[in-house]
Amino acid sequence: MKNIISLLSLAALIIIGSSACDKNKQKTTGELEIEFEHIWGMNETAFSLNTDYIHPMNGEALNFSTFKYYVSNIILTKEDGTQWKDSNSYYLIDLSKPTSLTLALSKIPVGTYKSMTYTLGVDSLRNVSGAQTGALSTTNGMFWNWNSGYIMLKAEGTSPASSTGSFAFHLGGFSGQHNIVTTKTVVFDTEKLEINKDHACSIHMSASPSYLLCNDAIANGASVMMPGSRAKSLAMDFYSSVNFEHLHN
Amino acid sequence: MAASFLYLFIFTACTKDQVADFQAQVPAYFPKPQYQEHQKDFSQGKFDLGKQLFFDPILSTDHSTSCASCHSQTHGFADHNVRFSTGIYGRKGTRNSPSIVNLIWYPAFGWDGGVNHLEIFHLGPLTNELEMGDNMSHVLNRLNHDETYRKLFKTHYNVDQITDYELFMALTLYISQIQSYQTKYDDFRQGKAHFNQAEKEGYQLFQQRCTACHQEPLFTNFSYQNNGLDSIFADSGRGKITKEISDYGKFRVPSLRNVALTYPYMHDGRFWDLNEVLDHYSEGILENSQNLSPLLKKGMKLSASEKSNLIAFLKMLTDYQLLSDRRFY
Repeated sequence: MKNIISLLSLAALIIIGSSACDKNKQKTTGELEIEFEHIWGMNETAFSLNTDYIHPMNGEALNFSTFKYYVSNIILTKEDGTQWKDSNSYYLIDLSKPTSLTLALSKIPVGTYKSMTYTLGVDSLRNVSGAQTGALSTTNGMFWNWNSGYIMLKAEGTSPASSTGSFAFHLGGFSGQHNIVTTKTVVFDTEKLEINKDHACSIHMSASPSYLLCNDAIANGASVMMPGSRAKSLAMDFYSSVNFEHLHN
Repeated sequence: MAASFLYLFIFTACTKDQVADFQAQVPAYFPKPQYQEHQKDFSQGKFDLGKQLFFDPILSTDHSTSCASCHSQTHGFADHNVRFSTGIYGRKGTRNSPSIVNLIWYPAFGWDGGVNHLEIFHLGPLTNELEMGDNMSHVLNRLNHDETYRKLFKTHYNVDQITDYELFMALTLYISQIQSYQTKYDDFRQGKAHFNQAEKEGYQLFQQRCTACHQEPLFTNFSYQNNGLDSIFADSGRGKITKEISDYGKFRVPSLRNVALTYPYMHDGRFWDLNEVLDHYSEGILENSQNLSPLLKKGMKLSASEKSNLIAFLKMLTDYQLLSDRRFY
């Protein structure tokens, strides 16, 4: 009995201790918004769905009806090397849903951060772990039903360069030579990220759907529906266009 | 304080007992299951909810087809002895509906192993346009408009809005309990039954000729093999998933548990009975078939009495306990 009581008091102490920590954390954490802006081609005009474009490299006419991709596993690194990992780290950027273009991160410890690491795609573990929730739910239409794995980038639309008049690129692959999961790091050179408790900081990113086809063309095949070498090169080309623009502290 | 400790203890013990009820009898010679989440998560209420969903055509676009339509308990959880199953709007599938017994031991699912996890397995039939044919948002929309389901999911999963996660977990909980280990073969292995002469000789022959692929006690080694059915593949099988030339024409080695009931046979249901299957292995293997299993290259000549002994043994793999188990219907 004595043992139980001492165990219980220890437990109580831990509970009190941890709730005190929570209170402290509330005072010492801040928020961050990461905004994704989409542009077209080299002249950097704003990109939008359901708009006629001529591709600047291959000259094809095309019009996107869908453009969706995953961003995940965001990590911020402080000057001293300590890292903060986003616990809810799967975001589906869907160009038809303006609210999805801003990722809202919270409970980040206050401090100066020198870099941000993020992943384009969904890490292999989540591709093999069964039922998932939120951005990874199958209701988003981003999971293959016959060959398990996430469609990490889905681009669909119409083009006269396609014999059927439409195109669909469903790009994924999480293992082996066809793995398209890509991790990138932004190093804040001139201005560091100063997470503070008073207001949300923001990071502006840009991405260009035109890069999907910068080394390819719809005429080469208007449909990709599974992992493979073409899926990989299309995805890599688009991912190369995802860049850090600036930040606001 | 002491009372609450006691309560906690009893509560845990109860939950464990229910699970034990389902799990206790799995023979010691069975391997460790690949999937064990269902044991952690088990409750009778969740199981019953999974069962209700399994039998409910509300999950299909035209309210015509349930999981049970093509996975019938009395038929070893395969379809009702048809080559290709009928799904929504009378559409026919393209592969023979496989038995869904003992799935917790499977490393991958479907004839081509394209599905990598039991919880995600349901997505295929639910969304396939020849089977239940709807996107997940529509399926969930129907469930969320059904007051009974809303209440049941609230009670058992504590959600106001049903998502694919809870639906998949409920179906998985039911399916994961469909286990076959109470056959005459199992009784024999545990010293509780005797084989007659034909069964005994059939078993010996089976162990010499068949267990390289149909490995005991699950009667599959889960590999992908081409057993020499075709020289031109109408269905590329495993090759559809891997795109490797060496995988074309290969299909998962099916388990033979309840095999006497799950006719017709092969991925396309081309053989109506076990005689036809054994005739194929004995006389019909196409040696020029690309990617033919090396084990079949020299053929598998069987005499008439060997065939009938093998069939006598295969009939010992019928699990009458499971076929009539009241928990599942």
